[in-house]
Amino acid sequence: MKAAQFDYVKPKTLSEALDLLVETGDDARLMAGGQTLLATLNMRLSEPSILIDITGITELKGISVQGESLRIGALVTHTEIEDSDLVAKHAPLLKLAVPHIAHRAIRNLGTWGGSLAYGDPAAEWPACSITLQATMIIRGPSGERRIGAEEFFIDLYTTSLEPDEILVATEIPIASKDQISYFNELARRHGDYAVAGIAAVAKKSGDVLRDCVFTFFSVGATPVVATKAQALIDGQELNDQLIKEAVEIARSEIEAIADLTNSAVAKQHLIGVLLERCLKDMLAQK
Amino acid sequence: MELNGEQLIAAPIPDVWRGLNDIDVLAKSIPGCEEISRVSPEEIHAKVMFKIGPVRARFSGKLLLSDVIPEQACSMAFEGSGGAAGFAKGRSRVELKLVDGGTLVSYTTEASIGGKLGQIGGRLISASAKKIADDFFQKFAKELGGEVIPLQSAPED
Repeated sequence: MKAAQFDYVKPKTLSEALDLLVETGDDARLMAGGQTLLATLNMRLSEPSILIDITGITELKGISVQGESLRIGALVTHTEIEDSDLVAKHAPLLKLAVPHIAHRAIRNLGTWGGSLAYGDPAAEWPACSITLQATMIIRGPSGERRIGAEEFFIDLYTTSLEPDEILVATEIPIASKDQISYFNELARRHGDYAVAGIAAVAKKSGDVLRDCVFTFFSVGATPVVATKAQALIDGQELNDQLIKEAVEIARSEIEAIADLTNSAVAKQHLIGVLLERCLKDMLAQK
Repeated sequence: MELNGEQLIAAPIPDVWRGLNDIDVLAKSIPGCEEISRVSPEEIHAKVMFKIGPVRARFSGKLLLSDVIPEQACSMAFEGSGGAAGFAKGRSRVELKLVDGGTLVSYTTEASIGGKLGQIGGRLISASAKKIADDFFQKFAKELGGEVIPLQSAPED
């Protein structure tokens, strides 16, 4: 099936793009990597009258360290994240996650900002951005605003972005020396949408984890943080008994939502499986 | 696809029943409702714009009421066409019960979505159906001047 007719425009600057958005309203769709949008258009699940191609806007590109933050532009592709030395050094969680994102061809075009703005429940980046306490930088007609990742994801496919706003970049606090990361995703086949996933970080000293963040994805409308499991683990010496208790708590504190192929009960179970693997892996990490 | 749920609305049963049968209240409560009209006591026609993420699908549909027990329950058969996006068909039963705090609205729904939306939008639909139902009840309760009370545990009779 082919997309319905649409006009196409490629603004050179961010302000041009923002003006266009105000002018066109809901009749327009922003296009970055197009890895979700073009399929949607070709299936005619969306028939915008105009596509605003933002891939030419330099303000949205690039990975850099600015002070204590790693700044990732919205247009940075998944592959660029995969290949980046700065990411490997300052946000290693992302490097662990990236091979799980779809397939190579999709990673070459799909973007960091696109994944965050769309907010698919099964996506990797929303969960990672929450775990890494990213700040979203958004530009709209009234200027720039910032919002924390956890507040940014509101509901199913619903982020804080207003229709006349564009996600410009994110800033992530650079990893401390004692930070360790764990990422895992369970799927039927490699590259499929996640059935359940975890994006986790912690500060490790000896066998003690502090400041742990365990964010689960594809178990609800938005990523879910297992705050009670975190509180249990924080500051305690990690052992098999504690892991068992954390797994039980995580399974009870998160109310998983079923999807087309997996029941809520199955997802509940997998939350525990993922946390167990995470904690055992973190215990073994130097 | 099955969608079953309960909502507790802080309003008396007669108000809730009246609201559910009032075209103007429904027009304001159904998310994306663009047009709605009562063709006969049992038949309602509506045009609804379904919006979730980038998806936009305009559904034209009709609702047929049956097995109506005033102020207690009714059944609905619905079908809608979303053009190239697909079509939807289903049945629903809604029951009202007086409980502590207001009216408990229980609904059971069975729907099948066909066409593109069904084939590849399936992931989208089962998760968004619940959201749409929740949005409907929030708006509906507001129209009645009451509010939706979050259900923590099973309500007392």
